[in-house]
Amino acid sequence: MIKHHPSEQLLSQYSKGELPATLCMAVSAHLDFCSCCKDKVAALELNQASSAFGENEGTSDLDDFSDMFAQITQNEDIYQAKPFHNEPLSYQNKRVVLPRAIASSSRSKFVQLGKLARARLNIDDGELRASLLQIDASGEIPHHTHTGFELTLLLDGEFSDENGSYVPGDFIWLDGKHHHQPVTMEGCLCFTVVNSALHFNKGLSKLLNPIGNLIY
Amino acid sequence: MVDQVSRCDPHVVARTNKSMEQAPTQALSEALCKVAQLRDKRAFAMLFEYFAPKIKRFGIKQFGNEALAMELVQDTLTTVWRKAHLYHPERGAATTWVYTVMRNASFDALRKIKSNKEEHLSEDIWPLLQEEQSSEDGFSDHLEDQKIQEHIGKLPPAQQDVVKGVYFQQMSQEQLAEQLDIPVGTVKSRLRLALQKLRAEMGDSND
Repeated sequence: MIKHHPSEQLLSQYSKGELPATLCMAVSAHLDFCSCCKDKVAALELNQASSAFGENEGTSDLDDFSDMFAQITQNEDIYQAKPFHNEPLSYQNKRVVLPRAIASSSRSKFVQLGKLARARLNIDDGELRASLLQIDASGEIPHHTHTGFELTLLLDGEFSDENGSYVPGDFIWLDGKHHHQPVTMEGCLCFTVVNSALHFNKGLSKLLNPIGNLIY
Repeated sequence: MVDQVSRCDPHVVARTNKSMEQAPTQALSEALCKVAQLRDKRAFAMLFEYFAPKIKRFGIKQFGNEALAMELVQDTLTTVWRKAHLYHPERGAATTWVYTVMRNASFDALRKIKSNKEEHLSEDIWPLLQEEQSSEDGFSDHLEDQKIQEHIGKLPPAQQDVVKGVYFQQMSQEQLAEQLDIPVGTVKSRLRLALQKLRAEMGDSND
């Protein structure tokens, strides 16, 4: 059972298209697992639609649009959706179909360090970095604190930390106040978004720490 | 962005907006269907007249710039014209659908301003606009998919819930048992019965 969900505020920003792209991808992927949050987003969109389109006031400047109308309707083609082939990802002898929002982005090859492997998504999103992170069975990430924030969406497998255990779909938001030490028994695959600029503020200790560099 | 963890409680969002009732919801929805089925320009003109000024107003709020706002009107209404067939009236109001089209166009436009890239990420982020994800292994044939849905629709409701949970929402049998508040054994037996029935109806070739 998924216990960790995006906050109301994140869902609202997502439904308005106001979140950075990598966080939109994370929320979108969470919705693939969580029909409850999906319903919430649908309700938010309904509300926003009614505030944008609900009131019926005079449309006096319609003339501005006649050229545009002609131009749009001139093209009789119906949009043909490009088929999206979602090739399952192979990891730890398993094949996992990733949520579309994540699968659709190109990414680097996995870089392995000990029981961790990370592939960076090729997406330009300011100071945010998005990655796929694998932890092999009985692997752990050493005790660490987050200087900025770290969002982890568990995609497959399980892991646990001081706060409990997590299942696929869990949306775990940690910031500087939290520190944790995730451990996995069976191995897991996560999508992570971290705020790297704040991380670099922490300075040399992290740069000297190869694991810190790998996961951020 | 504080307090990012919250309970998922559907009651929290069950607010409705009164102003929606004043919108000519039914008429807009019918017009959108006519655009989809008949490429009906008169129906599109009605949608255009209703939405264009409102989208422009939204765009000005969003971008603080009239030219960009007009681009948003153009992008949004072009998509409405060309993708009207992806609107499903049974899933919601036309205004909500057009809103999501506009939200996506606006998101892509803002990304374009920031990163100077023409990416259309929104198509992959907000799946509402898409046709069903028909690309996953085994479900690639749209007609086949429809046929299966039809057969599933004929199952007793209790079995439907189990099949949909496992195959369409990708829940584990344990999760499903918890959600439906029934023992895991019951989930398994319902699933087995449902699959037997589906197999019998559709022939064994679809294993």
